Parts: sequence; C-alpha cells; structure tokens
Amino acid sequence: MAASDKSVDDSLYPIAVLIDELKNEDVQLRLNSIKKLSTIALALGEERTRSELIPFLTETIYDEDEVLLALADQLGNFTSLVGGPEFAMYLIPPLESLATVEETVVRDKAVESLRTVAAEHSAQDLEIHVVPTLQRLVSGDWFTSRTSACGLFSVCYPRVTQPVKAELRANFRKLCQDETPMVRRAAANKLGEFAKVVETEYLKSDLIPNFVQLAQDDQDSVRLLAVEACVSIAQLLPQDDVEHLVLPTLRQCASDSSWRVRYMVAEKFVDLQKAVGPEITRVDLVPAFQYLLKDAEAEVRAAVATKVKDFCANLDKVNQVQIILSSILPYVRDLVSDPNPHVKSALASVIMGLSPMLGAYQTVEQLLPLFLIQLKDECPEVRLNIISNLDCVNDVIGIQQLSQSLLPAIVELAEDSKWRVRLAIIEYMPALAGQLGQEFFDQKLRGLCMGWLNDHVYAIREAATLNMKKLVEQFGAPWAEQAIIPMILVMSRNKNYLHRMTCLFCLNVLAEVCGTDITTKLLLPTVLLLAADPVANVRFNVAKTLQKISPFLEASVIDAQVKPTLDKLNTDTDVDVKHFAAQAIAGIAAA
Amino acid sequence: MSDYSDLDRQIEQLKRCEIIKENEVKALCAKAREILVEEGNVQRVDSPVTVCGDIHGQFYDLKELFKVGGDVPEKNYLFMGDFVDRGYYSVETFLLLLALKVRYPDRITLIRGNHESRQITQVYGFYDECLRKYGSTAVWRYCTEIFDYFSLSAIIDGKIFCVHGGLSPVPSQYLDQIRSIDPQAGGARTTGPCAICFGAIPKDQTGWGVSPRGAGYLFGSDVVSQFNRTNDIDMICRAHQLVMEGFKWHFNETVLTVWSAPNYCYRCGNVAAILELNEYLHRDFVIFEAAPQESRGIPSKKPQADYFL
Repeated sequence: MAASDKSVDDSLYPIAVLIDELKNEDVQLRLNSIKKLSTIALALGEERTRSELIPFLTETIYDEDEVLLALADQLGNFTSLVGGPEFAMYLIPPLESLATVEETVVRDKAVESLRTVAAEHSAQDLEIHVVPTLQRLVSGDWFTSRTSACGLFSVCYPRVTQPVKAELRANFRKLCQDETPMVRRAAANKLGEFAKVVETEYLKSDLIPNFVQLAQDDQDSVRLLAVEACVSIAQLLPQDDVEHLVLPTLRQCASDSSWRVRYMVAEKFVDLQKAVGPEITRVDLVPAFQYLLKDAEAEVRAAVATKVKDFCANLDKVNQVQIILSSILPYVRDLVSDPNPHVKSALASVIMGLSPMLGAYQTVEQLLPLFLIQLKDECPEVRLNIISNLDCVNDVIGIQQLSQSLLPAIVELAEDSKWRVRLAIIEYMPALAGQLGQEFFDQKLRGLCMGWLNDHVYAIREAATLNMKKLVEQFGAPWAEQAIIPMILVMSRNKNYLHRMTCLFCLNVLAEVCGTDITTKLLLPTVLLLAADPVANVRFNVAKTLQKISPFLEASVIDAQVKPTLDKLNTDTDVDVKHFAAQAIAGIAAA
Repeated sequence: MSDYSDLDRQIEQLKRCEIIKENEVKALCAKAREILVEEGNVQRVDSPVTVCGDIHGQFYDLKELFKVGGDVPEKNYLFMGDFVDRGYYSVETFLLLLALKVRYPDRITLIRGNHESRQITQVYGFYDECLRKYGSTAVWRYCTEIFDYFSLSAIIDGKIFCVHGGLSPVPSQYLDQIRSIDPQAGGARTTGPCAICFGAIPKDQTGWGVSPRGAGYLFGSDVVSQFNRTNDIDMICRAHQLVMEGFKWHFNETVLTVWSAPNYCYRCGNVAAILELNEYLHRDFVIFEAAPQESRGIPSKKPQADYFL
C-alpha cells in the first residue's frame, strides 16, 4: 500500500477494530459492531462498502439470530452508504439471504428492509434486480422464503410493466394456494395491501377468487387473516361489487365454525361497516351484528359488545334511532344479564355512549333501567364502568333526572366492598355536588363524604381528602367553616393515629381553598397541637403541613407560631421528624 | 440535612418498575449494610406499624399494598420476608423495599424469609431474573450478601413477636438465644438456628414435628404458649404459608399468619392482607386483591435472548 495511505489507515484504526470485532468469537462484540455498521461503511467509503463490506456481510449470514436481526435492520438504511439509489441493488443479495432464514423475527426485519430498499430503486432497476429476487423467493424450496415473498408484492407491483404485473399476480395466486399454511397465512396477511395497488379489473378477476379461497381455508388461522383483508377489499370496490363479491364471504365468516374467525369479524366490525356504507350496513351488517351479539362464545360476545357504541354511532343518521331501538337494544338487553362477567363489563364500558344518540326521552325510558341493573351487578368492573361513564348520560338527561333515578344505587355503591368502586364514586362527587346544589348535597351526600375520611383503605382516605378540597371550591369557605371543618378538627383528637393523620392531610389541602382567615383561626391551632403527638409519623406530617400552609399565613403568625414549633421539631429524637422539620424551615425561609 | 436526591430519584424510578443501574445497586447495598448491621436478630420495632407477609416479586401487588395501606414514610411497615422469587419482578420489588429501608430506616423494617437465601433464589427465579435484567450475576451477589444482614425476627413494643416462619426447637425458648444467632455463620439453615425463618409451620397437635414441606419444623400450641409466657409476649405474627383469606389465626389467637401476595403466583385466586397495628396495638386487617390488569405493566412475553447468559 502506498505510503500516503498510511496516515489515512492510522485514522481508520477504530474502524479496523470494529471490522475485527465483526469476526470476533464473542457474540456481544459482533452485535455491537453490527450496530455501528453505518460508521464502518462511512469510514470505508461507498466504493469499498460495495466491493468489500457488503460481500463480507453476505457471507456472515450464518451467524446468531441476534446479530442477523441487527444486520437486517441496518441494511434497510444503507442505501446512501453504498452510493445512493442507483447502487441500491447491492443491498438486495444479503437481504435476500436474510429473508430466507429460519428465525421469523429476522425474516420479518429483512422483508421490512427489502421493502424500504426496493422503493428506492428506479423502476428499471426494480425490474432487473428486485423482481427476480421476489420470484426466486416465491419458488424457494423452503417455506421461509415463500413466506417472505408475500411482503414484496405491494412494493413492486405498481412500478413494473404490464407483462411483469401479470407474472406477479400469477405468483401471488400460487402463494395463496401454497401447501404450507404458514405461506397461505402470509399471503392472507398481505392480501389487503396488495389489493390496494392492483387495478380494479384484476382485483375482481384475480384477487377476489384468492380471497374467497383463503376465507374458506382449512386452517382457521388463515381464514381469520382473510377477514382483515376483507376490510381493505371492501373499501376498494363500489357498493354493487361489494354486495355480490365480498358479502357472501363475510356472512360466511361471521358464522364460521371457529370462534377465532368470528372474533376477528367482531373486532373488525366497525371498519367493515365504514367500508361497506350505510345501505349494506342496514340490510346485511345489522343481522350479522345481532348474530355475533348472541354468539355462543363469550370472547366473541365481549369483542362485539365493545363495538356497540361505535357501530350505532356509524349508522345512517336517518334511521339510526329506529335501528338502535328495534334491532340493537333487544340484544343489548340480553347482554346486560350475560352469564360471563367479561361480556357484561365490555358492554358496561360503552353502553352509556348510546344515550346521546337516543336523546333524553329514550335514555330515561330504555337505558336507565339497564344502567340500574348494571349498577347493581355482582361484578365490580361492571359497576365501575357504569359509574365512570355517568357524565355522558348526565349531559343528555341532566343531573336532576339522573340523580333521582340513580342516587339510591350510587349511595349503595359508596359503601361497596371494592375500594376501586368507592374511589370511582368519590371522583364523581364534585360534579354531582355542583349539579345538585349545596342543600341537596348536605342532605344526601355530605355524610358519605365525611365517612370516606375514615375508610380503612388509604387510597380512599386520600381521595376523600382531595374531594373535600373540591367541595369547598364548589360551595365556598363559609360553607367549609360551618359544615366540614368542625368535623375534621374533631378527628385530631381521635385515639387512632390514622385519623389524626387524615385530619392533617385535610388541613393540608383545605388551607389553599379556605383563605388566610380560616387557616389562621381554625386550622393552624390544630396543626400546632399535633406537633406534640406521641406518634412520630404525625409529628413529621405536622412539619410537612406547616410548610404547605405557610403561604396562606401572615408573616407575623409564621414568626410567632410556626417557626418555634418547627424549631422544636427540629430537635426531635426521631430522624425523620428532624429531617422534615429542617426541610420545612428551609422551605419557609426560601419562600 | 443529608442529601437524599439520588436515593429519592432511585425510589421514584423503582416505583415505576424500572430497574436502577448495577453500580447504583452496589452502592445501595453498601448503605443498607451499614444500617442493617446495627439491627439485632430480634429487631425492636415501635407501634404504630403495619405488618406484611410474603410478597414474592409481585411488584404491582406491592404497589397495591401501598395504595391500600399508605406510602412509606407516612406509614411504618414491617415486612416479614420472602420479597423475592416466583413473581415476575423480584428485582424491582426487593430493590424498592431496600431503597425505602435505606431512605427511611426507622419507618420500615425488613426481616428475612426462607427465600432470602443463595440456594433458594437459584431455584425459584430471583437468580435468573437478575441475570436476565442485568446480564450478569453481580446484582444477585450484592442482594444475597445483604440477605445475610437482615434481622431474623422483630418484636413490636415488646409484645408481638414477628418472624417469617415460626418457632424452632433450637433457639426459640428464649428471645436472648435468638439474639445471639449469627446468620452469616451459615450451617444447616433448616435445622439450625435460622430455622425460625426457614420454614417453621404451626401444627395441630402439641410438641414439635418435622415439616412435610421438607425443611423446618412444625410447632404445636404448647410450644407457643410456653414461648409466649417465658418471653412475656402476647402473640406471634408470621407469614410463610398461603392463606386464602389473607390472614389466619391459630392456637386461640396466639399465632397469626399474614399473607400479602394476592392471587399468589398469578393463579391461586387468594386475597391478601396486611395487619395494621395502631399506637395501642389495636389490630385492624386490611384485605386487598391483586392489582387490576390495566395498572400492571405487561411482562415481556419473549424473554431476552439467551446469548447474554
């Protein structure tokens, strides 16, 4: 090598190390090196990358899967490193080999990269370099290569000449009829995207027969993928064609003997509905929907139950209410008392969404009775889902109506044995309070809100504390002073330290909404009193609370009352009391 | 005021079920050792305190426990061992508890269970989990070294004796004898001094027996009443055995089993319990269920490739 190259090669030393590591026995080192492949290529330059690095990599195809995966990934972004699109074909041979390996993850990544790289080829290069690769993969002996081939059709097809297009369609048909289910599965999987790039006439003459065939496959895993393709195909065809080309197959899938296929239909139902339009929906999909709502398999019912709201929302507005009332609700009513909790819970998560579609009158007439049943359901998720979605009904029928009919059930749930149900109720309280007004609230709900402060679950006490703050925001400080503060202050004398802690937590958040006057006169004395509590946890929470409420106190009060107390806590025997007292002193000084 | 910002950050990270760095684990264990070395084999604990049983790496259920019980430091906790093994998140669970211990030594007490051992963690998951999550056994070594420093038992206000398993014939006559055990001395863990945390189980008859689980002793009601009388304690609180209701009394309310791993091994269908003792040792049980699915992270279906092993 010429002397002038010497210095260049020295600077390439780190690169040489990386290249060495590509051959290292330690997998981890090879992996690291592969991940820095772009650095190596950049240092080598385009020419040497093409002539040395790529051939070398093509040979390493027999490495560990982990390394191959990284390699397949890297090569997808390599076009600029080999010299731009006109040299992209150099990347095809290694990727082709990677697309045939046994490990699925590697193959999928290789196909992904092949798609990227193929798109960067000119139309001419595509036909010369990529299409032969595709065809080699199609006729590969081993199912792995044929599986990979399926992913390349949609990128090649739009950019090749007519005769090649015909070949590709024939190739794809061959794969749809492959003897190996894995290949048919891959074909079914890619059918939708391929359909999008094929001309409508060939879609009807070539692909639809493939689709019909895949939808009748022996293997349910193939059939369920055909359902997905169904959505894409239906989107591409005019109504008439959908009706006689796609619908028979769809009907058959909806009543397939395998529940997994029916489940897939249920999952895709709203997409299908959007694809076929209102008329076919009314005539064909509504019966299919009813059929699925009564499916023997709970998984299918649960899947389709979650679609009830979206399906109804996408119905033609002209006869939406009528279809819901006459064709959907009777089936929904059955699901409310379904034996399977998942089905009931799925329904409960969406059923409230029907309310805005049906309007106030029908909500009260038709839906409220169902909600009441669900609020009393033995399964806590059902109750929870209903409670958490009350607001959409609220908007339709108003809180007055809602509370009259549902309040007894809500009060019952306030004492539910599941704490998450209680939590959901608490979170709904401020809204309920705001709509019901103070008087009604004081009568019916205040007791509950106070009761939660003594709940034996910490999360409930915490939520109940925050709830107090939100209530004061609604009803104002005078209300707080008269209605809740006296009861909270009593808790500071409770024998159980947990209640004294809760009292502190309340004072903590109330100061912010009650203002200086109440904080100084009512809240602060109690906080200071608790500074002498025998339990350390209470004492350090006094320190925390003092820091938190100090912004709502006059400077003179802080100097005269807060600081001496904190100084005393700062000499406490307990480490944590000292820590939090010191923190509070520093915090107040900095403010 | 010492600077806790690093430790607080690690605690926040662990609470999100994210592991901390290997060197952070090393430093954490070193700090924990300084604290634990000061604690006795019968660690004195003051009321109020909340007593918890086995956790077994069920991280999201531990978070649920803190939700129903309250967070450290607002509440004081005593965990009676078996933090690791079986669940998916032994690493995060143990490191979170250990980090809390280092941050608030007076607010949380950890005592040793039979799974806090080199041998058992190699069979029941903690070892593999460390290897998978850190790519080496270093973290497992740091953690198992710390296990040797954990107290074997605790006594609350001199009245409630807490231990992972129960009593064993060798040291249990007098608390002073337990105090003098040197767990690092090793030896036969299931029959020797450490047997109190390594498998003792209450049995229906009187006297002693050998555990059908193959390790440790069975202890009868007469053994308990004698132990309680000699040491002037009211009751023994232990964990170690799954009880479907979360807690269970034995021997006329002189022995209590507390179990804090709901839906144990993600399939037993049991509820869990914690025992809240207030400043007068008044007992209150809080029962809780497994964390709901949506609040759990999804354990990666594909374990990381074996190449790292």
